[in-house]
Amino acid sequence: MDIEEKFSSIRKGMLEFLVLKIIAADQVYAADILKDLNATDFATQEGTLYPLLSKLRREELVDYEWKESESGPPRKYYKLTSKGREQLRDTLEHWQKIITTVKNLGQK
Amino acid sequence: MNRVIIINLNGIAYQLEENGYDALRTYLDNAAQRLEGNPDKSEILADIEQAIADKFRVVLGANKNVVMSREVESALAEMGPVQDANSTGTASASADTSSKMGPDSGAASSGSRTENEKPPGAAKRLYTIQEGAMFLGVCNGLAAYFGIDVTIVRILFVILTWFWGAGILLYVVLGSIVPTATTSAEKAAAFGAAATTQEFIRRAKEGYYEGMKSLHDKSARREWKRRFKQDMQGWSRNFQSEMQRNAHRWQQHWPHPGGGPAFAAPFFWLINLAITVVIVFALYSLVKTGVVFGLSLPVGMPLWVGIVLLLVIWRCVMWPFKAMRWHAYYGGHYPPCGGPFGGFWDSIAGLAIAILSFWLADHYIPQFHEALKQLPPLLHQAIDSVQSWLEKR
Repeated sequence: MDIEEKFSSIRKGMLEFLVLKIIAADQVYAADILKDLNATDFATQEGTLYPLLSKLRREELVDYEWKESESGPPRKYYKLTSKGREQLRDTLEHWQKIITTVKNLGQK
Repeated sequence: MNRVIIINLNGIAYQLEENGYDALRTYLDNAAQRLEGNPDKSEILADIEQAIADKFRVVLGANKNVVMSREVESALAEMGPVQDANSTGTASASADTSSKMGPDSGAASSGSRTENEKPPGAAKRLYTIQEGAMFLGVCNGLAAYFGIDVTIVRILFVILTWFWGAGILLYVVLGSIVPTATTSAEKAAAFGAAATTQEFIRRAKEGYYEGMKSLHDKSARREWKRRFKQDMQGWSRNFQSEMQRNAHRWQQHWPHPGGGPAFAAPFFWLINLAITVVIVFALYSLVKTGVVFGLSLPVGMPLWVGIVLLLVIWRCVMWPFKAMRWHAYYGGHYPPCGGPFGGFWDSIAGLAIAILSFWLADHYIPQFHEALKQLPPLLHQAIDSVQSWLEKR
């Protein structure tokens, strides 16, 4: 197994966290989220993203509105809800703890 | 020539080659199956159809109104298998491995992923892009055209338009756009503490010299010195309490339970010990042979001056380490004798006084002189006995 495969389950677990983070920065289309992620190691596909966005909307962490775009039909424009923001904050705290733990383990 | 089947994706008709239609049909049926039980099934499917339609629109144009089979297949490879977000790791893992094992889909998806990043339209043209833009979407569009990050373009733009006073503005812009890196609380606390120390010393020096310069006669100067000393003591008390407060803050943030730089204390003690050992050895060799590490005493210099010199050197070397040790141990609770800075000069002064009285006694009191004369042979005897004891072991 090369290093990419070893980390694939971690990447999968982190996807929700990263999507929330992307949406928190700015209101985005699904295509924008994909574009941002595809520039990194966490590249993903529509087949994974759309169900995830639906789940987040069901949990009331994100919300969308239909926005007209010049080329083509109206699209969903996603933004973070206050509940989503709270959860992102908690997740970031937890993430910091994880980072610190990783840093300190094994150091004498 | 192949047959064409017209389908409807989100209200718009597309013409697909027959084989392409079959591939699409299979994909969507699979997706529907995977999403069975998902309350948002129809919505997700609508999103997926829309995404596929977008990909089709890329390959269509004025002279081409049919989507070829291989274009359908590459679009579907880009989409990837539909994974129910609620599914457990095993289901999605198996989906991943299946997509990995197919070399075609792997190559196609990686190839088409780069394609994805190009904006729609066959030829790359510069547009202003309103979505996610700040004002007119100019920077956004430039970024898309050149393939640079929008942030970089925006920053450059700001620099170009505001050359004068760009420092503060640039800072504010960077501060708001660039994510704040988390400075470790330790660094912040450490810097804050150092700043207060420096600040204190600086203030003290400035104030003192300022006062001295402005006063002309001796009595006024003496008065100023006295007042200044009083103020200094007050400041040092303030400083101590400030340091205590800072120390509490550090200890809160520090992950280790030891508090502050306490981890460094045994280290410095070790250095202390090492240096002391070195000095003892130097003294020993000096007394025994009159030579320290190959350097002999200058001609005519009595032995005791050499010893004193060694001790002074020792003090000087020890001073920074001792200061750090004090800092580590007490972390701001300096005992009233003035901490590491005061302590050093005190000890030097004490040493000087001791030497002076010694020399005076030696010079003016004959008995003392006699006794002192006895000392080197006694010392030699002591060292010899110690040496023989060591050799016997």
